[in-house]
Amino acid sequence: MNVEAVAAGLPALGGASAPAGAPGADSLSGFGNWFGQQLSQVNDQLQRADAGLRQLALGDASNLHQVMINLEEARLSFQLLVQVRNRALEAYQEVMRMQV
Amino acid sequence: MIDEIDSATMGVLRLALDAASLRHRVIAHNVANTNTDGYTPLRVSFEEQFDAVRSALGRPEPVDRGLLEGPRPVISQDAPLDGASARVELDMEIAKLAQNTVHYQALLRGVSKHLSILGIAVTEGKR
Amino acid sequence: MMDYSQAFEISASGMTVEKLRIDVTAVNIANMHSTAAADGTLFRPLRVISRSSLPVFASQFEDGAGEAVYKLRGAQIHAVQELDVPPRSVYEPGNPGADDKGFVALPGVDHVSEMVTLVVALRAYEANVAAMNAARTMAMKALEVGGNQ
Repeated sequence: MNVEAVAAGLPALGGASAPAGAPGADSLSGFGNWFGQQLSQVNDQLQRADAGLRQLALGDASNLHQVMINLEEARLSFQLLVQVRNRALEAYQEVMRMQV
Repeated sequence: MIDEIDSATMGVLRLALDAASLRHRVIAHNVANTNTDGYTPLRVSFEEQFDAVRSALGRPEPVDRGLLEGPRPVISQDAPLDGASARVELDMEIAKLAQNTVHYQALLRGVSKHLSILGIAVTEGKR
Repeated sequence: MMDYSQAFEISASGMTVEKLRIDVTAVNIANMHSTAAADGTLFRPLRVISRSSLPVFASQFEDGAGEAVYKLRGAQIHAVQELDVPPRSVYEPGNPGADDKGFVALPGVDHVSEMVTLVVALRAYEANVAAMNAARTMAMKALEVGGNQ
């Protein structure tokens, strides 16, 4: 499975950093980059867990506990990623609501 | 709708669960007939049929669902190598029963986890 | 028929067959020392002949699981047969049923073979119970897919 849909809310974060030359901008694009990396790592983790599950189904898995552990870790990583994304989105929306 | 965004994993799991369920019934049938004279034990072949596509399905990338079209679980009679008729070996059948039961439950657990991951995406992490 | 109820039916059929086998063994052993009835008939040991619900596994079924799976119904009782064994002659002159030489004809029940049959049937019965328990465990687990809802 892949997680690109989750990143839908993120371009706004990365884009907001571009025009500013202010000190805050670097940390914002840093976050955007970091999040992008995490996204791709979690995606890989999920793909691997999925492949492990398919191998189990075909009678191929060399150990059962590794398949289960991989699945659960992938699930937790994904959950964490989604929570980070939600918080970032909330923060962005709060900023956008501010009266100038 | 959920199967639109899913990989071939659910398809493979469903097939594997079907095979394990069938395998149980065949083992139960063998056990019920352990004292039937002239009875040849049956077995189910399934995993072997995937040899051709095994490497494709074992890769992490998303999988083409067409690979699942061919293989289906098949019941056949046991044919021992020495050419004599096979008889039910109760201890082997019980061992197969134990393994199959664990495998079935492992697959079910895998299905649950897989669906719960999809659930996180669908609900955006909210309960 | 659902897959799980079929599994229960198969194991139940095996239990029925083995239970009968044990009962018949008990009858044989109980009649080991029964003399001939008034009309001269002597007890002859019985045995249970079972057969598969799918008596002939024809090659057409090997094409796939489709047809054959519905015929998997476990074992059935085909017959309870009298064994054609000669009576045992035992020297017991005091017995009312003794002939003029003092020999009594008793049923040709082979004690050892009856005990073997008993043990084999009991083991098979237990194996059928194990299969049924496994089927129940699997079906209950299937209910748990998706978590607590």
